[in-house]
Amino acid sequence: MRASTPHRRASLLQGTLDLLILKALAATELHGLGVSRRIEQMTGGTFVVQPGSLFPALHRLEEAGWLRAAWRASENNRRAKYYELTKAGRRQLADETREWNHIAVAIARALEA
Amino acid sequence: MSLLRNLLRRRRFERDLDDEMRATLDLLVHEKTGAGMTHDEARRAAALEMGGVEVVKDRVRDARAGAQFDVLRQDLRYAVRLLARNPVFALTATLSLAFGIGAATTIFTIANGLLLRAPAGVSEPDRLVEIFHVEIGNRLTQPVVPYADYLELRRRSTMFEGVYAYQIDLTPVSLRADSDGAERIFSNVVTTNYFSVLGVTAGAGRVFGDADSDGSGAGPVVVLSHRFWSRRFNADPTIVGRTVRLNGQPFTVIGIAREGFLGTGVVAPDVWAPVGMAATLKAGSSPDFLLVMMGARLKPGVTASQAAAETDAIGLALGRERPRAMDFGGVPVEGAASTFGVTGASPIPGNIRPLIGAFLALLMGLVGMVLVIACANVAGVLLARAAARRREIAVRLAIGAGRARLIRQLITESMVLFALGAAAGLLLARGMTSLVLKLLPAFPLPLAVSLPLDGRVAAFATGLSLVAAVLSGLAPALHASKADVTSALKADQGPADRLRLRSVFVVAQIALSILLVVAAGLLSRAQGRVTSTSHGFDSRGVEVASLDLSMAGYTSATGPDFARELVRRVRQIPGVQAASLADRLLDDRIVFNGGLIVPGVQPPRGRSFFAATWNVVEPGYFATLRIPFVMGRDFSADDRAGSQGVVILAESTARRFWPGQNPLGKHVAWQTALIATDKSKAQPAPPLLVVGVVRDVLVNGGSRVEAPAVAYVPLPQRYTPEVTIFARTAGGQRIARELRAVVAAMNSNLPIVTSQTLENAQAGPVQIQLRVAASVSGAVGTFGLFLAAIGVYGVTAYAVARRTREIGVRIALGASRGDIVVMVLQHGMALVAVGSITGLLLAAVASRLLGSLLFGVPRLDPLTFGTSAALFAVVGLIACYVPTRRAARINPVEALRYE
Repeated sequence: MRASTPHRRASLLQGTLDLLILKALAATELHGLGVSRRIEQMTGGTFVVQPGSLFPALHRLEEAGWLRAAWRASENNRRAKYYELTKAGRRQLADETREWNHIAVAIARALEA
Repeated sequence: MSLLRNLLRRRRFERDLDDEMRATLDLLVHEKTGAGMTHDEARRAAALEMGGVEVVKDRVRDARAGAQFDVLRQDLRYAVRLLARNPVFALTATLSLAFGIGAATTIFTIANGLLLRAPAGVSEPDRLVEIFHVEIGNRLTQPVVPYADYLELRRRSTMFEGVYAYQIDLTPVSLRADSDGAERIFSNVVTTNYFSVLGVTAGAGRVFGDADSDGSGAGPVVVLSHRFWSRRFNADPTIVGRTVRLNGQPFTVIGIAREGFLGTGVVAPDVWAPVGMAATLKAGSSPDFLLVMMGARLKPGVTASQAAAETDAIGLALGRERPRAMDFGGVPVEGAASTFGVTGASPIPGNIRPLIGAFLALLMGLVGMVLVIACANVAGVLLARAAARRREIAVRLAIGAGRARLIRQLITESMVLFALGAAAGLLLARGMTSLVLKLLPAFPLPLAVSLPLDGRVAAFATGLSLVAAVLSGLAPALHASKADVTSALKADQGPADRLRLRSVFVVAQIALSILLVVAAGLLSRAQGRVTSTSHGFDSRGVEVASLDLSMAGYTSATGPDFARELVRRVRQIPGVQAASLADRLLDDRIVFNGGLIVPGVQPPRGRSFFAATWNVVEPGYFATLRIPFVMGRDFSADDRAGSQGVVILAESTARRFWPGQNPLGKHVAWQTALIATDKSKAQPAPPLLVVGVVRDVLVNGGSRVEAPAVAYVPLPQRYTPEVTIFARTAGGQRIARELRAVVAAMNSNLPIVTSQTLENAQAGPVQIQLRVAASVSGAVGTFGLFLAAIGVYGVTAYAVARRTREIGVRIALGASRGDIVVMVLQHGMALVAVGSITGLLLAAVASRLLGSLLFGVPRLDPLTFGTSAALFAVVGLIACYVPTRRAARINPVEALRYE
């Protein structure tokens, strides 16, 4: 991920982070820290999302209508804010997954050539 | 809107964010202690991983705001793109909204300027009030009070910092400065605390103050208005301290009132003089007989209603102390109890405000209707489009778009339209405000009304467009977003339903427009009836000019000869067919200015004389105004002072006194002392010989209360210094300049007070209101008609497009072009017919409300109703023309392939 300009790097990262968050929430609802841990686990520790990036992204996705948030009791009986995918979020996840696969395949092919 | 909601939500959001951060930190600590750290270690590690709670919160806020802004921007871009794709719709919608909003804003601007704002240029207007005279049980009493009452009120009241008084009517005076010729200017007599109570300071020199006195003849000093100072003296500061002559008397200019102050009424005076100088400015007036308008400044912390309670008590007390008034015959009058009211200061006296307010409300109702029509138009089109987008919306709902989000987007679209409309409307209001002022007849007086587009007006226009936008955007938005997902996706159902709803809007538009057009027609017919005919004289093409001979020092010895010479010279002006002179204009007030005694005829109700209107005229008066003689002769040069007194009577007056007899040769007398306090002192009035009888003159619309006797006497036998020249010109050409030259040539000290056409001079409040109401409803109705035509076109065109296939089949099956034309026309004209009939029925009901304003024009005037119906039929046909032609040219082969 050594992109040429900081701007492009940021946008690439943001797109990736959004996709990862949506994917992390595809199976079950999670609180903020849970999303972070799930991404860490899914990517085998490649991506460690800091709260400073995670929470703005969660709120942005909620505002876009892809996530829905609610306060629940956590697994060890603490209050936490849980996020879950909306219908639109699922649709978005499908779209972005498809797009990502296109790009990944294309880039892989390009690098093999 | 989302901004407001944002503000309301902000606090909840902040608390929520705070909780979320704390919970996360808590979870982190828990996680780390679970992994074997001590509590302190875990806390430190957790804080490190969070990376600064405040920083995180900041970034969340940024992300939120960015996302919301994105949504708004997205909505706006979407809305603008949609509008740009349909520029004709965007343009007509914006135009019609601009017109509606602009018109309503114009009316509001006028109401604001006349009724809600304190006079311009005063300090702390919130504490200024006016005090007016009210007669209990009579809403239309004159607001003015005798000067003596003002002094009493000022002495007794405790709620005011100061109470001032001024004369509500301006006094025209002749001004001479240096060696220039005389000029007519308008003076206003005020109490010397006028400026200090209003908080108006001097622009140069000083204004009246403690050094000046209200005493009779106290000080010949004047303050000039800034406008007059700039116009007449080129803002020369050395004028302060110099002497000018008003009506020939020297006055010292002590200062200039500060710029922007135009006085406290609707008419702007050129100079202010102390009330003690009233007699100098107008012959025969003195503070003792002066009627004044009162104003005051409340003490800090005193409310207008507290002050009103006090003035009310003072007014009632004054009424008890005052001796009872006598009527013309010396009989005590059962007068209504009267008192004083207090209300916020504005250029219109408080007790006239409801009248003006009601008229403005009528106008507001008229222009409000065009706004409703415009909204119906926009709503109709939005609805049609929303229906067309049902599929798209259903898809978006199906994939999980929030309904609120969709409604927000649809409303954004109408918001954009209304924002454009409001902006254009405000611009339009600027232009229309000055246009409305132009609709009023040319005033011979300088107006002081300022009609600014202030914050209140802007708030009104914005609020109005917001409400209209939400109302006309919400219905289509709800309708569209209700889209039933499954059925809408299955088939584009419901076009018939959509067409029906749109047709209803179009019918409503037509009905309201025809209602306005009919109202305009009725009002202008009434106006024509009021102004033109059957008054017994011909007011067209007559120039009138008023003079006050006392301004140049003429007396009863010199005045009549001067007047006679003046008339002789006016007759020589090229184009003048006839000219004469009288003591005043014919106006619509019923004037009792003297009693009339007829030997052998007993006046009614124990009076000693008949109430009468005495007119002082010169020979040729009746010929000039085309008032026919029934019998006898006109006055002549031989009817001089000292010769046999003569009189000409109105036909009805003569018939009343001597029914069936020849009135020529009979005698009447003019009783001048109306309130005979001491009957023994009353002078026996000299008998006047009746030499002629003329037709009656009916000045106002015909609503005569109690017909007074009407008599005419020649000027030399009853001299009055205030005279009015009447000059009938060929083809109605204006001769104001020539008249001025004639007067100036005869006496350069004598200014013409007012110069105008007789028709204009006669345009009283009734005519002005009719003229404005007719113009407004006419303009609004025409515009509504235009909008309705667009609506008819839209619906018909849409119907043709939808039925292309059907029409193709019909043609293929042998229908002729004529059949198709009839079919399409039937559809379009059915809308016009239903709308027109509804509108005409509404108009029949509404004309009842106009009732008394119609002056004998029948409520169901066939001419007006017929013409309006025909007009709408023709416009409807034109609107249907294009779609009909398109339908008739449908090619069956292509049509069957269509879809």
